Amino acid sequence: MLIALLVVFYPLIIRDSYLVYVMNRSLIHAMIAMGLVTQVGFAGQISLGHAAFYGIGAYTSALTVLRLGFPIWAGFLAAVVLCVLFSIFLSIPSFKLSGFFLSLTTIAFGHIVWVIIVNWHDLTNGPFGIRGVPQLSFFGVQLNNTGYYYLLVATICLLYLFIRRITNSHIGRAFMAMRDDELAAECSGVNTRVYKVLAFGISAGFAGLAGAFYAHLSGFISPESFVFAESAKFVGMAVTGGLRHLLGGIVGAPIVTHLPELFRFPGWETYYMMAASLLILLIVVFMPDGLAPLLERGFNRIFGEGVQKKGGKVNEHLGN
Amino acid sequence: MFHMVLQNSIAGMAIGLLYGIIGIGVCLFWQTTGLINFAHISSAMLGAYLFYTFNVMWNFPIVVSFALAIALVACYGIFILRGVVHKQIMKRRGGRLEFIVATMLLNTFMVNLVIVIWGGVPYPFPRIFGSPMRPLRIGRVAVQHHSLWVLLFVTALVIGLNYFFKRTLTGKALRATAQNRDTASLMGVEVEKMTSLSFALSTGITALAGILLAPIYFVSVELGGGIIGIKGFASAVIGGLTNPFGALIGGLLIGLAENFAVFYISSSYRDVITFVLLVFFLVARPQGLFKRM
Repeated sequence: MLIALLVVFYPLIIRDSYLVYVMNRSLIHAMIAMGLVTQVGFAGQISLGHAAFYGIGAYTSALTVLRLGFPIWAGFLAAVVLCVLFSIFLSIPSFKLSGFFLSLTTIAFGHIVWVIIVNWHDLTNGPFGIRGVPQLSFFGVQLNNTGYYYLLVATICLLYLFIRRITNSHIGRAFMAMRDDELAAECSGVNTRVYKVLAFGISAGFAGLAGAFYAHLSGFISPESFVFAESAKFVGMAVTGGLRHLLGGIVGAPIVTHLPELFRFPGWETYYMMAASLLILLIVVFMPDGLAPLLERGFNRIFGEGVQKKGGKVNEHLGN
Repeated sequence: MFHMVLQNSIAGMAIGLLYGIIGIGVCLFWQTTGLINFAHISSAMLGAYLFYTFNVMWNFPIVVSFALAIALVACYGIFILRGVVHKQIMKRRGGRLEFIVATMLLNTFMVNLVIVIWGGVPYPFPRIFGSPMRPLRIGRVAVQHHSLWVLLFVTALVIGLNYFFKRTLTGKALRATAQNRDTASLMGVEVEKMTSLSFALSTGITALAGILLAPIYFVSVELGGGIIGIKGFASAVIGGLTNPFGALIGGLLIGLAENFAVFYISSSYRDVITFVLLVFFLVARPQGLFKRM
């Protein structure tokens, strides 16, 4: 209860608009990390090119709204659809490749998309980026940071329910069978190609949605935000939270996004990026299971196990 | 026209051989561990920065700073990569995925560390490999002194590695470990030591590539920024991953393709060539250029 309250009143307690903005960014990252947990953690299809989908989503939504003059919801829809289409294309190599080779392919895909974004000046305005992407508004009222915060929390809750539904169904079981042993899964009648496309599609759709949110939240997009280092960061978030845990993305993204802010003491300006990356590295090396299982165990120990806690846990991680 | 083509081929070959050296490091690593190290390129960056520090800042002689830089990067390979990252992940039964993510994050950390220690501004590399303004002219073809130096180093490296793997006992033990760890350890090879040695070799060779790349890319964090690393992976994949000298050929192919793409198409899409080649080889010929299925 306490934690649910904390989530609801977070922007009212923290009155600093910048911190709410950082929280919003971390919630957007959480969407991508959730997609990665589904794709990498449950279906075993590694992807190191998610910044590409993030970028495609952001640019699609911004350009549909700015150039074609469609309403913003159409931009969101276009972003998701285009990302899913690209992901079907990207999932074709995964029929033959896995592990390191698949990760190299996805890295190559991410770089190609980035190079195209930088060089296609007519469409994307190149390295200068696109300015003046309109903010979201409901019933004529433009959303501020707090409004975005509630919208993102609601979206993430919906996405979480979606993922939980999927992983608890036959699709999720097929994903896990495919992850553990592809040959055995195929022998048991799992059409791995279909499920690979599905896994890629779900996580790319999430990333596209996140990209659209990002474009309309910040109002300015440039290729800088979609470099390879971002893809690495997204996977790092998923692993920090716990790749094989449903809440992994929701736990990992806020932590990884907020770490540099925590180290931002006066006089430490040069060190904070290094300290944050070192800490994430140590978490991954020494706790490969991630933080979500740890938090879950701690939570259960304090409050006892119970069904009604399930909802609370989602919020706890959002609030942290 | 012909002399332009020739000049381009030589320049492309020089940079391609450097990608090939990085690829050799990738291959050596893959052979003994069955893993790909995504922090591989950080050793090239470290090598260049350490060489710069020793040679320019502290005025050590060139040969001494060369040896010191490579030795220190090899130590980084043994103690950080092998001692901390690899061992801890293996101990916790982590798989390929954990290793990929951990090495990627290690690379990010090394880049941030370099920015903290040396600052983010690129340093010009000292002109020990000749000035780019005064190339060697053979007829109408201009050849950079740097290209000749690269050729010299690669030849020395190939001869040295060949001697090491074919003639010395340690080299043979290393090859035995790569072929079959269990059998090798039954034959009295210290497998753990050999794994550490292969980490040191792989990072040391990459450091050499980093120092040789520095005149082109400057001593900058761009050396650790990923794209050059991908080119190293690509040349290793084209060569077939198990064949270190195949990686050199793969690197040559990439370097030539890149230079001619710049010459005939446009420089903005230069890097795309590498990625397309990489994906093509992964999907169509995963066993590399030379081997049959």
